[in-house]
Amino acid sequence: MANTGQTAAESGPATVSSVNSAEGQRRVHLPGDVHMWVMVLGDLIIFGAYFIIFMVFRAMKPQEFLASEQHLNINIGVLNTLVLLASSWFIARSVQATRAGDQAQALRLTYGGGLCGVAFIAIKAYEWSTKIAQGYTISSNDFFMFYYMLTGVHLFHVSLGLLILGITVRELRNPRRRRPFMIEAGATYWHMVDLLWIVIFALLYVMR
Amino acid sequence: MTTTVARTTTYAWMVLSAITIVSWWLAPSHTRGAVAVASVPITVAVVLLGFIKGRLIIQYFMEVRTAPRWLKLFTDAWLTTLWVGVLAIYLY
Repeated sequence: MANTGQTAAESGPATVSSVNSAEGQRRVHLPGDVHMWVMVLGDLIIFGAYFIIFMVFRAMKPQEFLASEQHLNINIGVLNTLVLLASSWFIARSVQATRAGDQAQALRLTYGGGLCGVAFIAIKAYEWSTKIAQGYTISSNDFFMFYYMLTGVHLFHVSLGLLILGITVRELRNPRRRRPFMIEAGATYWHMVDLLWIVIFALLYVMR
Repeated sequence: MTTTVARTTTYAWMVLSAITIVSWWLAPSHTRGAVAVASVPITVAVVLLGFIKGRLIIQYFMEVRTAPRWLKLFTDAWLTTLWVGVLAIYLY
């Protein structure tokens, strides 16, 4: 990744302008780099398997799962989904600002996205603590086992996403770097975190 | 800096948020007093909305709509396999 970065840094301004024209003409462009996509697609496959396993367990005890699902707080679930969607909007706009050469705006947007990410973790921590206080723990039943496992592994990805956003901030703050593909790669990871949450929200909070 | 691309991103975000708010009514936790009943129509709707949301994120936020063909095919295959699988297991 460092080698690729060096090449991109050397041809920095050219990369920006070619990406801009790509936007205009709808030309084919892989956001970020192939390494990030390999990681993201691998994560999607692993989470996809978790989701299918969840459904198999749910199919064995549909009543128990549905009754347990009723104990989740849908207000918090919806709020957290809206927070994460807003963070994705910030990050998507930050990539566009980077391409337009407006680093100051890109930085502000990245901070906005990061703050939403922190808010997501805080809300999730509150949700977990209220569930535990109500006596619903990982050992309560299969539904709560999946609830803590899926949201826990996802929360780890949110934290990793925040770390990656920190790297893009460092990139944007350094006038000698600012490699668009780095900003795009960070954004790709962040949107994956959002994408996975959309599925978790549907399976754990909404379906009947 | 309100370009067409920026507007499209904002529209995608608005649709995603609207679907999320609609999901609030579909969820079973409102019937806290009574026992929630399994519902095939609601679950089918949830699966459809989940598919649409996922595709919006992939196409507009992850910018796959301007990405190489292999990535479009892979992400569409992932989305389809996941949601068809979820629905098939639910209905079975």
